[in-house]
Amino acid sequence: MIQLFRVSKIYPPNYPALTDIHLHIEKGEFVFVNGPSGAGKTTLLRLLFREEEATEGQIIVNGRNITRLNGARVARLRQAIGLVFQEFKLLPSMSALDNVALAAEVVGMSRTESRRRAFHLLRELGLKDKHDARPPTLSGGEQQRVAIARALVNDPILVLADEPTGNLDAEMAEETMRLFLKVHEKGTTIIIATHDSGLLRRFQHRVVLLQRGRLMADSKTAENKMAP
Amino acid sequence: MKFAQISFVFRRVVRSLRELLWTHLLTSGTMAMTLFIFGGFLLIQENLQGLLRGWGSQIQIFAYLENGLSPADLQSLAAEVRAYPEVESVRFVSKAEAWESFKKTLGTQSGVLEGLPPDILPSSLEIALERAHRQRASVAGIAQRLRGIKGVSEVEYPDEWIEKLGLLVLGVQWAKWILGGFLFLATMLIVGSTVRLAILARKDEIEIMQLVGAPAGLIKAPFVVEGMVQGIVGASLALGVLWLLYLLVRYHLPASLAILPSGDRLQFLDAAAVSLLVFLGWLLGAGGSLFSLRRFLKTW
Repeated sequence: MIQLFRVSKIYPPNYPALTDIHLHIEKGEFVFVNGPSGAGKTTLLRLLFREEEATEGQIIVNGRNITRLNGARVARLRQAIGLVFQEFKLLPSMSALDNVALAAEVVGMSRTESRRRAFHLLRELGLKDKHDARPPTLSGGEQQRVAIARALVNDPILVLADEPTGNLDAEMAEETMRLFLKVHEKGTTIIIATHDSGLLRRFQHRVVLLQRGRLMADSKTAENKMAP
Repeated sequence: MKFAQISFVFRRVVRSLRELLWTHLLTSGTMAMTLFIFGGFLLIQENLQGLLRGWGSQIQIFAYLENGLSPADLQSLAAEVRAYPEVESVRFVSKAEAWESFKKTLGTQSGVLEGLPPDILPSSLEIALERAHRQRASVAGIAQRLRGIKGVSEVEYPDEWIEKLGLLVLGVQWAKWILGGFLFLATMLIVGSTVRLAILARKDEIEIMQLVGAPAGLIKAPFVVEGMVQGIVGASLALGVLWLLYLLVRYHLPASLAILPSGDRLQFLDAAAVSLLVFLGWLLGAGGSLFSLRRFLKTW
């Protein structure tokens, strides 16, 4: 599903955000990318949805080399990936339903079908009565659920979430994680970047540990380069 | 682009025009102001050229004829001159007509002519030239040819006047391109800044659309269509104000301030100039949006 070969990312003038990363993630896996602030978690995710271009190395997503892509191919790649962010990235002037339907409409789905799917997802995520509400009137947890619904509306093969619980209280964070598990049960590959070690303990899944841009440990391969 | 995406673009445009009405009106207003200045300049230039054309039509060559020519000689002489390709029209002025006209010109002082024989003035041909040949070199060449015709005693034309008129026409034509070019550049800059501000307010929308995989064309299309609408509205506003101003000047300008010869009226922009202004509005709106989007649209 995802393969990174000797991937490095250096931000100008000379800041190495990621160095020599080797990573292989199978289809349908649930992976936590963990590490402190500045470890390179966000950069890794941004490379996977091609917001950033790797300085060195090759990245394969779903059988396609995405290391060098033009604008149209980047758009097509993103149509197959669901993205969730810490700060939700919802449009405040649109209703929850329209925020979700937007992602389906831009890929060419009809308005009726987009809204039908969006409504169905919002109901599934417990926001049946909130589909007409605008994001600023929703709680953080509700906004994140709208963002998750948007990420799922095109039936993505992969969901990338960058600190999805960062702005939520413990209860909401727990609930959001359960939603990701539910999505994972349907076979979707999920990668969540988080610095919250508590989440890793509560939800036992593969953990990839980054530190200062280097892959220090991977629970799947039991590889551990960390100092004792 | 699929039908669903076209419908999506249309809905985004309608939604944006409704929700950001004041922002769009501000942009259209800015375009209207700059297009008004540009259109005003076109209006002045067009009327000035009309004025010059009117003056140009008064450029004539006077060929004075020898005494004693028979009516048949006169007819063949006039026919010969009329056959020149540069000549627009030829009018024969008899001795009697010339005398009457001279008396009329002198008005109350025509008494000074008393005692003079009424056939003292020569008969003549008043020759008007085609517009393309109303320049100094052309007029001088035709005059030279006329001097060689048997029966023509003398040829006169307003030499200095033609030169000044030629310079004035050239000046207006240069001013049209230079001032017009400056105005267009200024318009582009002002409109570009206004559109950029309007797009800045929606940069989150652009970012989110890119993140969910919207093709670049689909992101740009609503902004470009909005720009076109703003441009056409702006041009229509500018034309409306220009029209009102034109009516005010045409019907309420005191006669003492009128610069056009009596009988001539100010003309409004012709269809080509109106189309040019609407096209410029359309182009400014669409171009301004596309240009400003470059800053906010991430490219790969």
